Amino acid sequence: MTIRLVSIVAAIGLWWLLSLALTATVLPDPVQTTATLWGNITGEGVTKDLRITLFRVFGGLALAMLIGTAVGVTMGLFRKVEKVLDTWVVIAMAVPSLCYTLVCFIMIGLNETATIVAIGITAAPTIAINVWEGVKNIDTRLMAMARVFETTPLRTFTRVVLPQILPYLVASTRFGLGIIWKITVFTELIGRPNGVGFKLFYWYQLADMKQVLAWTLLFTLVMLILEFVVLKPVENRLFAWRPKVAS
Amino acid sequence: MNPTPSPPVSAAFTVRDLSKRFAAAGTGEPVTVIDRMNVSVAQNEFICILGPSGCGKSTFLNILAGLDPHYEGRIEVHGEVATGGRLPIRIGYLFQEPRLLPWLTAEGNVDFALASCKVPRERWQARKDEYFAMAGLEKFRGHLPHQMSGGMCQRLALVRALCVEPDLLLMDEPFSGLDELTARRLRVDLLDIWNARKKTIVFVTHNSYEACYLSDRILVMARGALREEIRIDVPRPREYDDPRIFELNRGVVRKFLEIAGDA
Repeated sequence: MTIRLVSIVAAIGLWWLLSLALTATVLPDPVQTTATLWGNITGEGVTKDLRITLFRVFGGLALAMLIGTAVGVTMGLFRKVEKVLDTWVVIAMAVPSLCYTLVCFIMIGLNETATIVAIGITAAPTIAINVWEGVKNIDTRLMAMARVFETTPLRTFTRVVLPQILPYLVASTRFGLGIIWKITVFTELIGRPNGVGFKLFYWYQLADMKQVLAWTLLFTLVMLILEFVVLKPVENRLFAWRPKVAS
Repeated sequence: MNPTPSPPVSAAFTVRDLSKRFAAAGTGEPVTVIDRMNVSVAQNEFICILGPSGCGKSTFLNILAGLDPHYEGRIEVHGEVATGGRLPIRIGYLFQEPRLLPWLTAEGNVDFALASCKVPRERWQARKDEYFAMAGLEKFRGHLPHQMSGGMCQRLALVRALCVEPDLLLMDEPFSGLDELTARRLRVDLLDIWNARKKTIVFVTHNSYEACYLSDRILVMARGALREEIRIDVPRPREYDDPRIFELNRGVVRKFLEIAGDA
């Protein structure tokens, strides 16, 4: 815990030193930024934009996890599916997120559905590859054991396969959250009249770096809370059976 | 070894002209792993298949277990021919490693097998009480596999295999990964359990003393076929250090070297 604290304090110190070297219009110092952030929070508008962005983030994440897990699991379990899809997953991953966003906006319209579909589709291939990798690492010796006991395919999936790929699913969620937040902000900048991404761009155009950093800090804090209040406890609960590796 | 002409009436299963071939990876050349094997195993007989690594003994067990449906020849159980690779009887299989589900407790692992084999739930408690006690694991029912020693994990795997009350118990070098002292204790306990609950057992090993101590009959396997049959007539219950077993073992080792060594 102390190590974590020291590293955070050091990073803030570095930020502060850098802000001394640059003017406040280029890089405001931590105190100014925090003051602006506090002003935003106690004022109006923050919750509305934050809520809409989080809604898009979780909508996109749910869609990406759904597609990514389905594709990844079937690719890992069935060699034929793997052969059909492996090139496409790589192609899907290579397409820039801007293309998905533009295509979705044109095909579906400038609305929430298009936004969430664009976010979900952009992140899905990366998650699919992650899950696919996890399923390929399944212990075949345990699968043989299940077969000897005549375990049904469904039961084999829930009791033998799922616990083995769960670490990959949790890692994918965490990792997916990271990329999806970036995609969401970007998508908002292109085609939405609200949300954190819109606000960032708005303040950037007004050259107000204090606000740009304040909004960035706000979202970083939200992600930190998500990690330590939601993801970590869920992970600890799910993997309580595992022997501790690091001390 | 000559094929068994007609199986005894009480045969648990009979294997006729069993062959297993596959195309080698890369070259595609046919490789014969098992070559026209014939054997008949009596009900409640304890047989050991003794052979060097790569002689096809594990492949044979996998075929019996239904893990490998691609073979030639026939396996008959009570006059019925096995189709689709699976014998029409309940199989218990003890692997070389325990193969426990690490996220389930000792009891959870046994429950997994009981549920998979569709044992009625009202019988679970009695079965578990009985076999956990037999294996000396009552105190460890709530433990996770990684909290138990290798020997205890293998004991638990034995409990799991026995709990479903298999008609045929297959064992693939189950004690070879353990230290000698632990392995020896487990061999003694296995015979105690077998004496109490008779079962047909096919036990694969490369340890001739283990084979002599445990079995009614040793089948020496080399290069994909059974080469020799040795009856072990030492009366039961047996002592692990019985001089008669030592004496028998010397003969078996000599035979084993003769057969496996002339490759």
